[in-house]
Amino acid sequence: MALLRLFKENGKFRFGATITLLLIVLALLHQVIIDWRLGSGADPLKVGAYPIFQDPSSEHWLGTDRYGRDVLGLVLMGLPVSLTVAFFAGAVSTVVGAIVGFAAGYKGGKVDTVLRTITDMFIVIPTLPLIIILARYSNNLGSAELALILAAFSWPFAARIIRTQVLSLRERPYVELSKMTNMNDREIIFGDIFPNMAPYVAIGFASASVGSALALVGLTVLGLGPSNQMDLGRLIADALGWGVISLHKEIIFIAPVTLLILLFVGLAWMAQGMEEYFNPRLRSGS
Amino acid sequence: MAIQSPAPAARSLDSAETRVEQPKTRRLSPTAQYYLRRLGLYIITLWGSLSASFLFFRLLPGDPISGIITQLQTRGQYSNLAQSEDMVKFYKKEFGLDGSLWDQYINYFRRVLLHFDFGPSVLSYPSPATDLITRSIPWTIFLIGSATLLAWVVGILIGTLVGWKRSSFISSWVTNFCLVFSNIPAYFIALVLIIFFSYRFRLLPASGAYDASLQPSWSIDFILSALKYGILPIIATAITGAAGWIIGMRALVVTLLGEDFLTYANAKGLTQRRILLDYVLRNAWLPQIAALGISLGAVVNGNVLIERLFRYPGVGNLLVDSVVIKDVNTAMAVVTLLIFMVLTINLIIDLVLPLIDPRVKYGD
Repeated sequence: MALLRLFKENGKFRFGATITLLLIVLALLHQVIIDWRLGSGADPLKVGAYPIFQDPSSEHWLGTDRYGRDVLGLVLMGLPVSLTVAFFAGAVSTVVGAIVGFAAGYKGGKVDTVLRTITDMFIVIPTLPLIIILARYSNNLGSAELALILAAFSWPFAARIIRTQVLSLRERPYVELSKMTNMNDREIIFGDIFPNMAPYVAIGFASASVGSALALVGLTVLGLGPSNQMDLGRLIADALGWGVISLHKEIIFIAPVTLLILLFVGLAWMAQGMEEYFNPRLRSGS
Repeated sequence: MAIQSPAPAARSLDSAETRVEQPKTRRLSPTAQYYLRRLGLYIITLWGSLSASFLFFRLLPGDPISGIITQLQTRGQYSNLAQSEDMVKFYKKEFGLDGSLWDQYINYFRRVLLHFDFGPSVLSYPSPATDLITRSIPWTIFLIGSATLLAWVVGILIGTLVGWKRSSFISSWVTNFCLVFSNIPAYFIALVLIIFFSYRFRLLPASGAYDASLQPSWSIDFILSALKYGILPIIATAITGAAGWIIGMRALVVTLLGEDFLTYANAKGLTQRRILLDYVLRNAWLPQIAALGISLGAVVNGNVLIERLFRYPGVGNLLVDSVVIKDVNTAMAVVTLLIFMVLTINLIIDLVLPLIDPRVKYGD
């Protein structure tokens, strides 16, 4: 029910969640739309299915590409791939970030100092070069490997948010009470702290997904993503390689760029909206 | 260092809580203690991240030396296709890949710290990777430096105005606009700029860093050409950045507006202009300096893509070139240099900040 109230009261979250949900629905329905537009059983990746470089028409809403493939079909094939990798990486990051953030915030002292220094280091240094290198050197890079590589560098986004919250929850009176009544760490963590963490885990997930998606797009527009599958970044890289700007066929990369922008804006607004809603200190500011 | 600011970024790096060697520094003043602690943290972080990146490169899958030899062969260095044992041995030594991991680690730090030597590159063997880096780093500093400063100054000024006039129509319109643009990667903005300014209107070049007919020098012609080629990449990075700073600055200014000292300043009958400049702006811009250092990593990330898109001869482009052909030494040199730059700029900001912001308190 908190979700419904959040949706009603915070405009940023409402817009962000709506955009993100629309993208997910589009990704889920991609096969249906492809069948409807191209006829069932058609393979959008099949080379030479139509004349090449056609302008958008009633038959091909976004035109065709250099190999005579329907661009709408390509975009619809790429969207679920990009979303899956970004969300999977975001989920793994959240799990790692929650563990690190929890340990740092709950244990405090030296554990906190060390973990926070490492987290800050990851946030401050530029990590895209490392991601690029790791992806290039991985043998048989697939979606799962890629997501794990992205997660290895996105967890600090989640860890930072969760640590701050655990720090504040630890000082709450009811935790003090549990400590005085000799409850052990596990009981306190699962009984007192965990139930109050859900919104912050959600914020961590949204931020880590944005981080992962940014790195994913960076990697794929450089042409360094998995070579055996079409995703939105790869489509942009290919289109630029074909020189579509001088051919006035910009639509081929404008379409994936638009979807990715919607993804970034949607996820970021969800995270910002939730932060405003659950963190009263920020609420007054906007 | 505790700073009274609602900027979330400024809070994440308050390093004073890190306790290093308490007993020895007990007699020093809090200021000196803070500087020592911050410097200690810098050295530890730098050592940690450089060691981690060394390990990272050594643990990459695949055998680096056979990749290097294959590359050298395909680049016409040798006609002999056999990888004889002597040859492998020779190149292992040449590229610093001989001995145990520990030996390599010690060797690496000795070479890099004492001689700024990253070993030979594969991209243009046998030139050292250091040569490639020194050739491209000025371009990257030019791009990142001007884009960051432009974005920051514009963002601080507009953000203050937007926060000051927060209920006006233009203000909320600008805010919404910035909420969208701060989340669009600079790469996408660059693509759109290229479509319009390079292809449709043919006003600005879409690739390179200067006119091919000119030789790099400090002549007026060359500087003008470099500026002309720099406009699009700089603007693309600056738009995303400025939008972000406007949002951050607006939030800071809006929280300031309810403060007592502003009510008092109003009651004293100070002009609105005076209040805005001396009370609001002065209070809100200082925390954004710390945030500047933290944002740098993301800017460097985006810059790799921007340089690639514009075929700009900076270290980002060099990095991708070297990664594609698995030139370990050059890639390692770029990564090391970028990490060093970002950490050092953050150190400088943290050391300078207490001098210019009287509200920064030293932790005990």
